[in-house]
Amino acid sequence: MNLALRDVRRHLGRFLGTAGGLGLLLTVVVAMQGIYAGMVDDATILARAMRADLWIVQRDTRGPFAEGSRLDPSVEARAAALPGVRRARPYTYQTIQRDHHGQIMRIALVGLGWPDDAGASLPLVRGRPLQQGHGELIVDASLGLALGTSLTLAGEPYRVVGLTRNALTSGGDSVAFVSVADAQLIALDQPAEATVLERQRVVERLRATDLGRGQPALEDLATDPRWRAPAVASPPVAAVLVEVAPHQLAAVRAIVGSWGDVTVYTQAEQEALLLGGVVQRARMQIGLFTVILTLTAAVIVMMVIYNLTLEKTHDLAVLKLMGAPRRRLLGLVLQQAWLLGALGYAVAYAVGQVAFPAFPRRVLITDTIAVLAPLATMIIVTLASVLGLTHVQRIDPSRALEG
Amino acid sequence: MDPAVRSIDLRKTYGVGSAAVTALDGVSFALAPGTVAALLGPSGSGKSTLIKALGFVSPADAGEVYFAGRLVVKDGAALADLASLRRRHLGFVFQKANLTSFLTARENVEIACEFGGKPDGRRRARALLEYLDVAGRERAYPEMLSGGEQQRVAIARALANEPSLILADEPTAALDSVRSRTVMELFRKVAHERGAAVLVVTHDHRALDVFDHLYEMEDGRLRPYHPAAATAAAPPPA
Repeated sequence: MNLALRDVRRHLGRFLGTAGGLGLLLTVVVAMQGIYAGMVDDATILARAMRADLWIVQRDTRGPFAEGSRLDPSVEARAAALPGVRRARPYTYQTIQRDHHGQIMRIALVGLGWPDDAGASLPLVRGRPLQQGHGELIVDASLGLALGTSLTLAGEPYRVVGLTRNALTSGGDSVAFVSVADAQLIALDQPAEATVLERQRVVERLRATDLGRGQPALEDLATDPRWRAPAVASPPVAAVLVEVAPHQLAAVRAIVGSWGDVTVYTQAEQEALLLGGVVQRARMQIGLFTVILTLTAAVIVMMVIYNLTLEKTHDLAVLKLMGAPRRRLLGLVLQQAWLLGALGYAVAYAVGQVAFPAFPRRVLITDTIAVLAPLATMIIVTLASVLGLTHVQRIDPSRALEG
Repeated sequence: MDPAVRSIDLRKTYGVGSAAVTALDGVSFALAPGTVAALLGPSGSGKSTLIKALGFVSPADAGEVYFAGRLVVKDGAALADLASLRRRHLGFVFQKANLTSFLTARENVEIACEFGGKPDGRRRARALLEYLDVAGRERAYPEMLSGGEQQRVAIARALANEPSLILADEPTAALDSVRSRTVMELFRKVAHERGAAVLVVTHDHRALDVFDHLYEMEDGRLRPYHPAAATAAAPPPA
């Protein structure tokens, strides 16, 4: 006869209530672990999705995520020409905030080096990569935009052609991908008044130079909207991403590292920058909170199991007096603790399935968490049983005779 | 035939120094199989201490306890596995029925069979409940049973392992006189029909005719009890 199950059967409602409460507590613990894992993953997912071997950024900066980076676009061609380099592509990164049907959307806009990089390496769940260099964008599903939706950016329509999953920044913003050219158009978008004023400034500068005074017809060119003044620099990029042939990484890195105007990071270093800088404090905060929460849960479980045992003191004394083998009584406490842990975790799992997707920050249940959380729960309830087990050991059977 | 249980010169003291209380003061006692004995005495006279010592629950400080002719406790030290002895050879009945609250009437008896290693516990439990006339309540939890029914189930539980010794500590204290007598008669039936030795601690003098032997304790000392002498010695009513 299983005493643990008999006791549960007798007090089923209370036991299920306790398991439900424990389950909600475990939900919070698992959620914190998931948020922690999500934060770490979010911090690096964007860098990983680019599948670059080397990140070339502005000299002495930790760009493009940890801080701003402005790189001359010629770096792309210089890198591409290096022996051992399979591909080099530009990359831009900026955060924009736009109103869409009355809702404010905060978007991290990433420029891809179209046509070399159409976004094929992105975690696409629906749709397709970019097929043209202008007017298309890939967005993360968390933005809530459907395929085919049209967004107006910098006065021009952009059609959603692909949806990614979990393409988020370390700050939790959803990422949208466009071509570098489009990203620069959006970044450099300015009102008509600003364009007129800029053209006026070009004319004034021309008039101040011998060139302008000698060739007044140049002023007509400056006011032509199709013309661009030759002295205006090409828009910068945030980084150049380099893919290297096998076994060439160290050599290419050494060469790029010797250039005076750039700093180069490997993929691992870029991820370390993100984890070490961008989310370090938040990560530590959540990590410590998770530890405290786990300890709190363990103490609460211990008290719950202890109280469940305490309530049975008289019954246990009677059973002891009847000569119940010690393992049967210890087994009663342990089996109830395990049952409580298993039910609690099942509740936590079920609640998590419903609640976690609704969290504003991603709750990432990694394989490690999926395996370790139930295991840790069972270890915690086993350890938490120690007080109860000690109490069982100490029960004096003569208490049963005291009425 | 060896007595079911025998004690020689049992001594037990609670507390120390001036606060010391002698609960057992050289108690020697024997109870033969198939007999039922009553243990009378005022509160604090040492009855429960003797029950605990004979039931291997709380040993005396000094003295010897023999079980079926075998020395099992000497000067407070266990010479055998006492839990195993309780499990296989002893049955307890308490003032309150002390049934396990989360087990049904049948399961309370069945678990005792299980502890004692008796096969087919469910069938045995049903048979015992029938023997004690509570078979119809086998699925009821203790709190659903009347006091008398609880005590019958408790006796059935005590009988589960065909014990050679049953110790009952004021088993009728919570019952009315009719049910008290019924329970006492059950003990005699168990002793005479099943060959168990039964020792019942009681304050109830109305059913003393049921018992084969009567003992009385006072200040930790045990002596035979004679109802007639006790009545003669009692002061006349005012």
